[in-house]
Amino acid sequence: MRTIIFSWEYPPRVVGQLSGYVKALTTQLATNKIDVNIVTYDDDITGLTQEPSGVKTMRVSNPVKTHIGVLTWALTLNQEVERAATNIYYDAGKKISLIDVYDWHFIPAAVTLKNGLDIPFVYSVESLEDHRSPAAQSSYNMAIKSIEWQGFYEANMINVKSQWMKEEIIRMYKVPPEKITVVSASPDTWINDILKLYDIVAETK
Amino acid sequence: MHNLSVLMLSWEYPPRVIGGISPHIYFLSKHLAKQDIKAYVVTCDFPGAPAHEVIDGVEVYRVDSYKNPSPDFATWVYLMNMNMQRETAALMKKIDYKIDVIHAHDWLVANAGIGLKHIFRKPLLVTMHSTEMGRRDGLHTTAERMIHETEAWLTYEAWKVICCSNYMINHVKYVFGLPNDKLVMAPNGVNTHGYIGTDYQTFRGKFALPEEKIVLFVGRLVYEKGIHILINAVPKILSKVNAKFIIVGSGYMKEQLLNIVRSMGLEHKVLFEGFLDDTNLMKLQKCADVSVVPSLFEPFGIVALEAMAAGSPVVTSDTGGLTEIVEHDITGVKVYPNNPDSLAWGITKVLLDESYAQFLRDNAYRRVQEKYNWEKIAQDTKHIYEDVLGEYTKSFWA
Repeated sequence: MRTIIFSWEYPPRVVGQLSGYVKALTTQLATNKIDVNIVTYDDDITGLTQEPSGVKTMRVSNPVKTHIGVLTWALTLNQEVERAATNIYYDAGKKISLIDVYDWHFIPAAVTLKNGLDIPFVYSVESLEDHRSPAAQSSYNMAIKSIEWQGFYEANMINVKSQWMKEEIIRMYKVPPEKITVVSASPDTWINDILKLYDIVAETK
Repeated sequence: MHNLSVLMLSWEYPPRVIGGISPHIYFLSKHLAKQDIKAYVVTCDFPGAPAHEVIDGVEVYRVDSYKNPSPDFATWVYLMNMNMQRETAALMKKIDYKIDVIHAHDWLVANAGIGLKHIFRKPLLVTMHSTEMGRRDGLHTTAERMIHETEAWLTYEAWKVICCSNYMINHVKYVFGLPNDKLVMAPNGVNTHGYIGTDYQTFRGKFALPEEKIVLFVGRLVYEKGIHILINAVPKILSKVNAKFIIVGSGYMKEQLLNIVRSMGLEHKVLFEGFLDDTNLMKLQKCADVSVVPSLFEPFGIVALEAMAAGSPVVTSDTGGLTEIVEHDITGVKVYPNNPDSLAWGITKVLLDESYAQFLRDNAYRRVQEKYNWEKIAQDTKHIYEDVLGEYTKSFWA
């Protein structure tokens, strides 16, 4: 199995908890003989690196440096994410099992790659805009929510860490419950649960 | 081997008409189709227009482009690109990836064009109809710098950058630091067939008295179009000739211009007509005794070309693409840019000398037919595509 993970943070870039989680995940996936490719953002260190674990990391920077907000920044960065992901895709003989995309930032790239190249994707939810900015209804917040909605609508499966988050997504976005898998942080089971989820998604291709 | 196929991306295509890109795409794609090129146009949606239709042999797809809330215009553009890219990616799969070149028009479709280029590994071309630096006369705000950098990124990613005039070639080369061999000129064209017809006297009577000459301005009411220069020239012109000034178009300067006209006491001489449909606009251009293009920044100047095709003498500022379209004293009159005295001189010269005006009309119409017909421009564009494909087939992407 060959997977590409989209995450807007990955060590050494640490913004919140996502960075450390993705690092642990990719190491475990590599240990389980998964060909793991990460596409992430970094303005200072760009290009391809391979870790001793076998995990390959492609860091891209934003080709447009001046932005009026996070939205335009993220939307512009998506084309670089697509460039990096399709380079992996073509180098691998067009054999990518799935994309695992973390949070909303790179949902547009995942959705386009699914529609154009038939690569299924998992939408892994770390947090939601409604929780980050409670009750905010500005067009800026609503735009991010609309991208989250697109992700839920297009994703082959959704991965969350708690039953509470699953219920929140069902409440807010009316997602069918069977589309959401809860992978709890139990050290004994979580990586096996992720692998099971990946197997299901890869077979939907 | 299948026919050469092109995927055009544009934020406007009829019936959605915002500026000059819409008619440009319509005529270019239509004439490319006549040259046996399979042409697809992906554009923004418009109320009442179908999501897919075939127009003059061109496959037109309209994307749901207002589905995401957006805090401002620039953010809307990037969100629209997200939707355009997704729907075009699905279209590519549906047509079994049978696209040879992707042709983007302006920064408004930059993200979609760049993303699709990499996803499907197809060569990308761009026509730069304008630049943010030119439109704003510099870069003054964060949004303007962001748009400028997006334009720079698009020209960087493009295999070739097409410009509509030699002026724009030089401008784009300077603004984005592009190498010469990346730039190629293909002018805009004009459809002369739409202007056939002679009896417009009744129509003319809706706008002006028989003894009044018609001075016509067509364009967005924005600073770069220099409409305020024409308004400032109105009293000088009226001191020598009885005329009615018809202003067609809309824009953020409209209220300001209306106030100036009111303060001059000239509401009865300057009419703001707003947006006119193509049929009425063409009739008005046929009726105009002079068409004025007083732009401060003009990458090409399609309005001047349309007036020349309509048989209306033109007075333009000597700037940008207008410098190339109009030959002074032969196909029109060129005046100093940003100079109401010079503009008034040029307009008065045409209005007071009918034989001179007829001389300009005849020469201009001939020039339009020789140089700016869409058939020839589509042929030139097809050659650009073929050259790019020739180079592409030697690359590891092919």
